[in-house]
Amino acid sequence: MPQHVPAPVEGAASGSAGPVPPPGTVPADGPRPRLAAARGPGALLDWLPLLLAAALWISSLPYVGFRSMGEYGLLDRLPATYYLSLLVLTAGFLAGLRRADTAPWWPALYCAGLLTALKGLPAVLYDSERYPWASKHDAVINHLLADGELRPYEGLSGNMSAYDQWPGFFTLNGGLVRAFGADSAAAYLNWAPVVLGLLTMPVLVLIYRTFSQDRRLVWSAVWIFQLANWVGQDYFAPQGLAFLLHLAVLAVVVRHFVRPGSAGRLRSRSCPDPAAAAVPPSTGTRQRAVRAVVLVPVIVAVNAVHQLTPVMLCATLLALNLTRRYRNPGLLAVAGLIMLAWDLTMGRPLFTETLGTLRDSLGELTRNTRAGYAGQLTGAGPELAGRAGVLMVLAVSVLAGAALLLRRRLAHSALPLLLASVAPVPLFAVNDYGGEMLFRVYLFALPGAAFFAAAALVPAAGGTGARRAGPAVRRLRAAALPVTLTALLAGFLPAYYGKERMYYTPPAETALVTRAIDAAPEGALILAATGSFPKALHRYDRLEHWFFAEQELPGNVEMLKDPARYLSTRLPPGTTAYVVLTRTQEIHTAGEGLLPPGGFAALTRDLAASPLFRVVERTAYGVVLRYDSP
Amino acid sequence: MSENRQPALPARQTLTRAALALSGWVTLAATALPGNTPARWVPVLLFVCFGPGLALLIPQPGPLGPGARLETAALAAPLGLSLAVIAATTLFLAESFSGTAFLVSLAAFTTLASALPGLPLSGSARGAAGRTGTSTGRG
Repeated sequence: MPQHVPAPVEGAASGSAGPVPPPGTVPADGPRPRLAAARGPGALLDWLPLLLAAALWISSLPYVGFRSMGEYGLLDRLPATYYLSLLVLTAGFLAGLRRADTAPWWPALYCAGLLTALKGLPAVLYDSERYPWASKHDAVINHLLADGELRPYEGLSGNMSAYDQWPGFFTLNGGLVRAFGADSAAAYLNWAPVVLGLLTMPVLVLIYRTFSQDRRLVWSAVWIFQLANWVGQDYFAPQGLAFLLHLAVLAVVVRHFVRPGSAGRLRSRSCPDPAAAAVPPSTGTRQRAVRAVVLVPVIVAVNAVHQLTPVMLCATLLALNLTRRYRNPGLLAVAGLIMLAWDLTMGRPLFTETLGTLRDSLGELTRNTRAGYAGQLTGAGPELAGRAGVLMVLAVSVLAGAALLLRRRLAHSALPLLLASVAPVPLFAVNDYGGEMLFRVYLFALPGAAFFAAAALVPAAGGTGARRAGPAVRRLRAAALPVTLTALLAGFLPAYYGKERMYYTPPAETALVTRAIDAAPEGALILAATGSFPKALHRYDRLEHWFFAEQELPGNVEMLKDPARYLSTRLPPGTTAYVVLTRTQEIHTAGEGLLPPGGFAALTRDLAASPLFRVVERTAYGVVLRYDSP
Repeated sequence: MSENRQPALPARQTLTRAALALSGWVTLAATALPGNTPARWVPVLLFVCFGPGLALLIPQPGPLGPGARLETAALAAPLGLSLAVIAATTLFLAESFSGTAFLVSLAAFTTLASALPGLPLSGSARGAAGRTGTSTGRG
């Protein structure tokens, strides 16, 4: 074991649950002041805020009115104690930052606490799956477990076979479901953001510590990353896992793939920013080849799990090849070949299809940057969520940009991180990925953006002293971080929970949907306004489905004129169709602007009144209609 | 020289490796418990996330560089989950998937990996052995 830390003077009497800074973190990079001074009252600041925040958070749980959400989603249903717990957490984190070098476990615990406090709420409280798309993935897992095999070439409706072609996430969870002994992934999928976040955190720290030895900067960057990660790509979905694996590959590359003789000037002590870390030791060709072999399973897994992330990974590796430090064409070739191999074997149907449509979307920058489908976000909550999101992106970008200007030397030594962040941006020019490309690019840029944003906020310790700033400027600098973190927190909540009414569906409503779909005979058609409700894709391998309002607004306006005729003329003869119209769909179509206000109610009324459609079941949550075409 | 900085007491290391070697089988045994109880899902989750990865990465060969432990801790889960993804997908492709097969394959792999020395992923690069001093001496 490396040398043991002399018994810290943390005072056993304080009853602190605080762990002794583990021996491994006594930095080997030079002498540090020992924990000489008694830390009596200071130690309180370590664990008391955490305990207090936990108590406040737990006490707020029974008062979270998630079952009675209104226009503002969860925002106005969260009690004051919840918001207070977040503020206490922020305060405790900032206090712990001052001693981040010698007591790194505290910022880590606070970051984990923030993650749980922000994203653990649905996991602990909800009695149903949050996010209809998580429910969709649950349906895929059930389908795989029922079949016991993969059928990538089957051509299921709505491009659902994509999940058989890139099945890694679903097969893994199939294994988990069976090993847990759970009925289905629905039992645990709400925990995905917390679990993925906790697993991502150390990888992020690893990447950041490669570029900065200032622990305050590192942990601030992690905190900012968590607050800025409101885009909802870390739910129970392949992209969340793929992102974690992508970051792991990036971490290994920046730490172990430094070319010999490439970072000469950066190793000199006079040049870099005081916060910059030394460049990792360079590795010879054979060592890099060995490490590349070690990375192969991870890259294969990235390909098995998701179709877009390998492209992002190759783009990142390509960008890294632009630096002298990380010029590793061999690794890029390996990653590219694995991607190509997967696209030409398992993923061939969707890959060839995408290549075909690529010509249409190539260069369509405005179309590719548009988020989501057709309409404008409507309603107080969704509009607030949208605006908060934009402001958050702007804030982080401005901060990151400021750091690039103000701390040029740090930016120079952390250039690979910068390049890795902007690498996926050109993908905008290629495809809009169903309206999702905006969020994906943002997510992949976020680790670097958070790092530079933190660099702008955390003052560089040990300046040259040549330009001593006046007291006012120093106060301003000291206030920058707390103010910004609080502002980002204030932006996160609406961005993440503002549209929550669309994401939570009461179990009774889902039961209605499940009953209707279970009753449908094989070969029947399932119709709904949108697919954004749980169990929309239940039994998707046996039934076709058509989400008829998921189109541009003019088409829907036309549909609303006479929905019964619109639908019946478009259904093939001799089909049995079940139309499932539920409250969550109404909220979604209104909130996303797919249907005009009152449109869904009119649709339901007209269809129920039509002689062509027979009402099968009607509850407070929705109506199920049946249509038999002649 | 490196002999003066052997990473761990041999007994402790052996204990860790033995524990890892058994972890998969203990997890398999835990699946005999009724479903959805913590006594069942906690070992499963911990093993699938960390077991194979840790078995591959520790013990670390040679002198440990700075941040080696962080690196091992951070990379264990992604590495392990990658292997789990590959195992599960392969089982499905071979049409022989079952919960037991999934856990058995991971447990067998973990046992084998824990018997072998760790991957040269964490720790210092041998080729830069002479530079280990400078890389740590940021001052």
